[in-house]
Amino acid sequence: MADEPYAIELRGICKTFGSIKANRNINLTLKKGEILALLGENGSGKTTLMNMLSGIYTPDAGSVFINGAKVTISSPEDSAKLGIGMVHQHFKLVENFSCADNIWIGARDKGFLLKKDRYKIIEDMASEFGFEIDPRKLVSMMSVSEKQTLEILKVLYYGASVIILDEPTAVLTVQETRKLFDVLRRMKESGHSVIIITHKLNEVMEISDRVAVLRKGEYIDTVVTSETTEKKLTELMVGRKIELNINRPAPNKTKPLLEIRNLTVLNDEGSVAVDDLRFYIRGGEILGVAGIAGSGQKELCEAIAGLRHVERGKIIHKGRNIAGLPPKTIFEAGIAFSFIPEDRLGMGLAPNMSIVDNVILKKYKYGTSPFVDRKSGRVEAEDIVKRYEVVTTSVDAPVRQMSGGNVQKVLLGREINASPNVLITAYPVRGLDINSSYLVYDTLNAQKAKGVGVLFVGEDLDVMMELCDKIMVMCHGRLMGVVRAVNTNKEELGLMMTGALDLVNAKEDKPAGIAVDSALTLEEWEREIEAEDKEVDKND
Amino acid sequence: MTKLHLVRRTGNTLLRRIICYLAAIAISMGIGAILLLSLGINPLDYYSDMLTVGLIGNKYAYKSVEGFLKVFVPLLMVSMALALSFKMRFWNIGGEGEFLIGAMCAAAIAYRCDGMPGPVVLILMCLAAMISSGLVGLAVAFLKCRFNTNETLVTLMMNYIVLYAVKYIGETKAPWNFFLREDSERPLFAKFPDNAIMPGIMIGRFNLLYSVVISVILTVIIYIYLKYTKQGYEIAVVGDSINTARYAGMKVNGIILRTMFISAALIGLAGAFSASASATVSPSMTNNAGWTGIVVAWLSKLSIPGILVAAFLISLLQYGCLAASLSYPEIDQNFADLMQGMILFAVLMSDFLVTFKIVRRKETES
Repeated sequence: MADEPYAIELRGICKTFGSIKANRNINLTLKKGEILALLGENGSGKTTLMNMLSGIYTPDAGSVFINGAKVTISSPEDSAKLGIGMVHQHFKLVENFSCADNIWIGARDKGFLLKKDRYKIIEDMASEFGFEIDPRKLVSMMSVSEKQTLEILKVLYYGASVIILDEPTAVLTVQETRKLFDVLRRMKESGHSVIIITHKLNEVMEISDRVAVLRKGEYIDTVVTSETTEKKLTELMVGRKIELNINRPAPNKTKPLLEIRNLTVLNDEGSVAVDDLRFYIRGGEILGVAGIAGSGQKELCEAIAGLRHVERGKIIHKGRNIAGLPPKTIFEAGIAFSFIPEDRLGMGLAPNMSIVDNVILKKYKYGTSPFVDRKSGRVEAEDIVKRYEVVTTSVDAPVRQMSGGNVQKVLLGREINASPNVLITAYPVRGLDINSSYLVYDTLNAQKAKGVGVLFVGEDLDVMMELCDKIMVMCHGRLMGVVRAVNTNKEELGLMMTGALDLVNAKEDKPAGIAVDSALTLEEWEREIEAEDKEVDKND
Repeated sequence: MTKLHLVRRTGNTLLRRIICYLAAIAISMGIGAILLLSLGINPLDYYSDMLTVGLIGNKYAYKSVEGFLKVFVPLLMVSMALALSFKMRFWNIGGEGEFLIGAMCAAAIAYRCDGMPGPVVLILMCLAAMISSGLVGLAVAFLKCRFNTNETLVTLMMNYIVLYAVKYIGETKAPWNFFLREDSERPLFAKFPDNAIMPGIMIGRFNLLYSVVISVILTVIIYIYLKYTKQGYEIAVVGDSINTARYAGMKVNGIILRTMFISAALIGLAGAFSASASATVSPSMTNNAGWTGIVVAWLSKLSIPGILVAAFLISLLQYGCLAASLSYPEIDQNFADLMQGMILFAVLMSDFLVTFKIVRRKETES
């Protein structure tokens, strides 16, 4: 080693969880002042490996060298002392502390008392790296991207020279991602090393110097970014050639299946989450819903599925107002709902129960017998496992034991087996690898071909622009416009998502979100809404 | 350099579990043996008495079995009832209080319905116990659903309210207090009239109480209820994820109210059985079943067959310790409690070794 030692070098790292080999003989090098992208499918062991660097797990075998010296990392403190900082996917911040205090609580050497000058110190440091952040702002008032900035600032403050970011762009808009990348480049210039985990190949190409690829817990190769292509990386990651285009069959549109007018819904805290929203879905089309995380997507989906109270407005399904009906009735009317929350298991599945028990979740009550019909549930579960290539030991295994992708397939399979006419699917590929994602896209396209109206709430604009026929953009629960996917670009969508561009009244003859051949005529709608307003006034 | 760390075990652990539990029992009995030796008692004799519950060489062996069942039946019923609510992640730790409420309401019927035919009185006693205790469970569940109170605290405090209310009734001589004996100067709970005492089927000299038969039938019913019925399925889903239950269109609050009613009513019924079998009530009649039941439910991982086994073994331990201490004047109930505590503690600790394994970390030299 004639030149400088590596910032981090891993040799022969192994980690086993029970019978699962999460990491097998991994070798990895990180140069000083470089950005290394860590690439791999779901379950390829990226997060496990990084968790060993940050001291959450200890490796079963293998050794870690930092700046050429062999070290043992057995706790997060060790890791911090060695100058490694990790920004997790789920932020670890105290919500009702200010920015500066969140940094301060972790700094043990700063003494017992809170000093007034902490705001100044942190502000100076932020401006040094070019962060825009107010040290006095409470975390609970921050946007997702501000919180992320704070997390990065925090690890920098603790003196990290190596920063690990676990899927940092999953929750950001295009503009915010660009800002983050600027920050990363500045950090690189100042001599920091960065490891970034991401699924998005275009980001890998844009930001990284080198790419390390893992596959099924094994180290495959490290390549120099400028000497490779997205296609080559995918092949390394998947282990075989793969087609990278999402199909978009021409829509075979029918009359509007689901029309939403003047919909207002509150969030759990009681503030307005969906604000006077209107849009419609026709049968045989995929309507994308774009927006920054937390712009009312969840509340919108829940309102349609009958899980959330509708404050005001109408949800007309095949000419019938379903707002306020119980979830069971809405499901039986043919509106299926699959929502993949951040933790992937929170809604729609019972994690400790078997696949069979999860498949029967929505129809266990059918029939008059007091007993649950698991026999037909088992047949259906086996069918889903076969059709969607779910990897599991048996249909009786708890859902929790499966990897995220397989869990999502079970959920989507159940909703599609109910043969819906409207399919609401939120973040169906959240955290999925390329293979599984394409299977989901194909499944959604198959539904579209069958004349189902699909509402696709997504986070990856590239995917939405390729898969969806139209994209509706929300900002703070408000409609910003509906655009045709072929006629738009990421910049336009990004501007709409942040509220800088409002295309609702862009076309003079037709406001966005109202179908020309609506199930109700304009006069009827207006009368309905007026009547409802009067009722509200009366109640007040 | 080597370092120890913990790894979660996977795969079939039943055999390992049994081995670990047996080892735990052996260790605690070993410690007990040292204590016994220091008291000058031969531990082998003591333990053989304990494990046979005083059955062997006993002319009145049937009495021992009856005594054992008096410990076993309430514990079994309470554990199953608690498992119902635990399965829903509703931490009902009010078993003690619910048991006493059931017993006191049954007693009120017993004292007041003197002269009515036996079966009628007994059925009324059971109904009174189940409804009164069930309503308390319902009240706790209502507070939880309506105001999101912490059910652990509410049920815990309720135990003390009920306990001290029972003590008050038991120590207050007053014209209104029909619970106490009229012929005694000292305040004493009265004996039930004959028509309120649990009858049984005579097998030789052994009296198999109907309450025992009913509790066995209830075990089967609860097993089927949890495993195969729609209501049992609902309990499992609510316990696993409330959001998912709502998403599936379940009326979560209704399910919580219903399940807590059933859970508390079963415990109340256990109280009525216990009161009727011993023909009186007392503040200590629960024999800690409300607390031990929590341990039984967890040890058996909330499975009904597991509860049957665990409740059987723990009752055997309780009753065996008691029976053995009777033949040794140096030893009293306290030693029995000490033994029981040590064994339970060791078994719970060994659970750790069932779940995790300790491995040595290897580092490759390079």
